[in-house]
Amino acid sequence: MVRVDNNKLQGVKMDILQISEYILMAALAFYAIATIRIATRKTISMGIVGLLGLSIAVATILILVNNIYGIAFCKDIAYALVILGPIGTIAFSKVIRGW
Amino acid sequence: MADIITLIKSAIMIIAAVLIVLTAFGIIRYKDDVERILYARVHMLGVADMACIVALLALNEPLLAVTYFFLTPFASHAIANAYYYGEESR
Repeated sequence: MVRVDNNKLQGVKMDILQISEYILMAALAFYAIATIRIATRKTISMGIVGLLGLSIAVATILILVNNIYGIAFCKDIAYALVILGPIGTIAFSKVIRGW
Repeated sequence: MADIITLIKSAIMIIAAVLIVLTAFGIIRYKDDVERILYARVHMLGVADMACIVALLALNEPLLAVTYFFLTPFASHAIANAYYYGEESR
């Protein structure tokens, strides 16, 4: 009869979760660089598009940092980014459109 | 039971990562001289937005995910609207 060590099994499962978190973080870092590249294009609207993408990427990275390293204040910064990012985008878009 | 949930969370995060990488390739793929590329980029950004929302749900942050889920369509519409009536007509 094969005995499975429960602790070892749990360790493997935890590793899978952690590995997937690191993969997501790497993908988000790549996406953040792509959005910065878009934000530096010549039109103003393209800059807004880039910054909207950057805000959600950074917010998700901060939540991942909170989960992996246990830094609690990252969550507060993520909340501020998620609320103020789209609201700032809407406000700036209204200015570009003209009141 | 908890282990199955962990596996599902991991699968969701990996799928979200794949979608985010595809979006990143998509938005830098085209040059600026393509006509009305901004609308295409706003459209592509929606994929990454939804992938991030699903990832946030998998990370046990439902309030953050729901807040962004409600705010991001307004922001995308505002950008497209501003481009149509403001920058494109100049």
